[in-house]
Amino acid sequence: MLPLTPYQIIAPLISLFAILYVWSLVFKQKKTIWEGSLWTLFWMAIAVIALFPPVLDYLAFVMGFKDRQNALLITFLGVLSFIVFYLIVRLEELEQRQTKLTRSMALKDAGLDHKRTGSPEGKAHDQGR
Amino acid sequence: MVVLRIFFCPKMRVFAVIPAYNEAKRIASVVEHTCKFVDTVIVADDGSSDATAVVAEQAGAVVVRHAQNCGAGAATMTGIDAARSMGAEVIVTLDADEQHDPRDIPSLLEPVVTGRADIVFANRFGQKNHIPFIRRFFNAVGNLVTFATTGRWVNDSQCGFKVFGPRAVREVMIRMSGYEFCTELVRETVQHQWRVAEVPIKVLYSQYTLAKGQSFANGVKTALRILLRSFLR
Repeated sequence: MLPLTPYQIIAPLISLFAILYVWSLVFKQKKTIWEGSLWTLFWMAIAVIALFPPVLDYLAFVMGFKDRQNALLITFLGVLSFIVFYLIVRLEELEQRQTKLTRSMALKDAGLDHKRTGSPEGKAHDQGR
Repeated sequence: MVVLRIFFCPKMRVFAVIPAYNEAKRIASVVEHTCKFVDTVIVADDGSSDATAVVAEQAGAVVVRHAQNCGAGAATMTGIDAARSMGAEVIVTLDADEQHDPRDIPSLLEPVVTGRADIVFANRFGQKNHIPFIRRFFNAVGNLVTFATTGRWVNDSQCGFKVFGPRAVREVMIRMSGYEFCTELVRETVQHQWRVAEVPIKVLYSQYTLAKGQSFANGVKTALRILLRSFLR
């Protein structure tokens, strides 16, 4: 058996931690079992690709990559995609905050604000979370 | 009016929540017809630029107003929060564009009143309704995306006509602002292990309703947001 590269050790370890984290969220009922399974499949794919790179040969064959330059280009595209994804996530967060604020104002204006709703959100608010 | 409500749901305090955006022409009729079947009607005005809030108030609804347009999901959750604070035990949600017939409310309430379900989804495809092909197609795609992200199949996951029983009223928390909240509600049923029932309803499509419906681009956007949120949560 060929010696493992650092990448082949680190990537499966990260995958393992990610899978454990996802299932801890499932047990805390923050994620559903379905979502946990989807994430597990995703991280397992990362680990499998790291441990068995020849899997990618098949993908490269199917997608038509021929040399390292192409692989480099694809890697950078991947990094750019991640940055776009990160920006979308931040935008989503900002939108959520704005919506939360608008909703709170509406309830407050109507004299029906969180502290009296008994909602999960209201209870968290009351407990200072 | 009250007689109808007492007959259908004798013990529980039933509230209706109607999210509305620029529906001044239709909201009065919807509120008046809905009042016959529930104790209180709450209209969540989602930052309308017309007189929706004033008309709804005159028709007898309690109105909560968003300072700006946030989306159907946010308006629905604001309405649910308002209803909870007023002591609602059961909440009916329906659209403000006269697409849903309030006379279906008693049959939707039945599974909750008899203790068979925690949430009831209306099903526009459960009986003979004249629904355009494109609407059927979009709903089928919505159902598939919902199933892919939640693991639960609901025959009409994207319909705004629903009933929340006492447990669902206590536990529901919608975080998605737009139309994708329908999918989030299906996720909530899985998350909280609510008992689900589906009831066939009539649907009234007018030229206005059809024109106001979601475009293909909106549908794609909604589907992407659902997938994104399912990963971010």
